[in-house]
Amino acid sequence: MWSVSDDALVAGLAAGDEDAASAFVQRFQRRVYGLARTIVVDDRAAEDVAQEAFVRAWRHADAFDHRRGSVVGWLLTITRNLAIDAVRIRRPLAFDPAVLVGLDQPSGEREPHELVQLGVDTERLRAALAQLPEEQCRAIVLSGLLGYTAREVGEAEHIPLGTAKTRIRAALIRLRAALVSEETTE
Amino acid sequence: MSIFSCREVRELAPELALGLLGGTERAEAIMHVDECARCQALVLELTETADALPLLAPELEPPAGFEHRVLSQIHSRRRWNRRRFVPTMAAVAAVAAVAILSVTAVHVVEANNSSSTVPRSAAARAPVAVEMRDTVAGVSAGWAYVTGGHSVAVTVDYGVSSGRYHVQLTRADGGAQSLGTMTVNGNRGSWTGRSARTITRGSTLALVDAAGRAVCHGTVTTGA
Ligand SMILES: [Zn+2]
Repeated sequence: MWSVSDDALVAGLAAGDEDAASAFVQRFQRRVYGLARTIVVDDRAAEDVAQEAFVRAWRHADAFDHRRGSVVGWLLTITRNLAIDAVRIRRPLAFDPAVLVGLDQPSGEREPHELVQLGVDTERLRAALAQLPEEQCRAIVLSGLLGYTAREVGEAEHIPLGTAKTRIRAALIRLRAALVSEETTE
Repeated sequence: MSIFSCREVRELAPELALGLLGGTERAEAIMHVDECARCQALVLELTETADALPLLAPELEPPAGFEHRVLSQIHSRRRWNRRRFVPTMAAVAAVAAVAILSVTAVHVVEANNSSSTVPRSAAARAPVAVEMRDTVAGVSAGWAYVTGGHSVAVTVDYGVSSGRYHVQLTRADGGAQSLGTMTVNGNRGSWTGRSARTITRGSTLALVDAAGRAVCHGTVTTGA
């Protein structure tokens, strides 16, 4: 079951195949729970979010369209939206956003299998993030990954709202430009 | 037409892509993006990048027994889902009843004000049901009811993230307009309102999110 592609697992999930459902959960539970836990912080709430994300994926599996994106991207978008809905109060950050996304780790630690399945080259995205000014990197990780509003970014970073917005905008535009330019130079 | 210019929308595009805009800004930006292909392309590009960021979250081992609990939830909801149709229809009937009552009230007022009001047939006032399907997944998100070609009731109860959405009408001739804004909370939301233009067969009703994406939609296939 571990050699089966992500798309095939989703097809099995849609068909009500119990082995496929089990393999699907096993394959993605660390990512789904990791993202949920990162956003909601609380263990119990993170598990509720992660469970609901898998239940939704199962309900939507019959119409998943691989041409619109990767399985893991789809699943994590579901997870992120549920997690942001579940967050009521932002606690002070106990970690550095740059460290959170692994900018301090060497890039060779991920398995090649994983890179292929992700659809988006996360190493390339990490490299683009690492090229950003540190304050822009923090702003985009807080908003794009943790779901902070611009106001919450301002509060967490002790900067005015306008500055927070400027950093978020500049960061996303630079990330996009970096990803596009790398695609076209290959 | 949106009050925003292309320059203003391009400035707001990253926040729109990240889902950070709210209220009037978001509504106006969406209206512009709906009608401007260039701004829409930019927002879609930025959305693709924004959507990739969650892939960078660290992986974590879930608590023991997680897989088992997920699988048993799926089993229990599978049975529940078959019965879900009944309460959904009851909810739709309740909303539709409100819509019919409000249309009837309008007719009474019209009748009092003007003797020339043409009475509409009972058939024209019977609500036409439109199933609203999730645009990505194709599953049922809820129902819309069109009564008398103008009165609209929309209710969703599955798979729509909390937030504000435009209730967008696209007529059979391709013209699109926002009929109003609907708030969804805990997957549920309902909205009633009117369309100035007659909603005919072939018209599509959709809920459109901050990034200009139709999260669910349904097309009027009968009557009206
Ligand atoms: Zn424009």
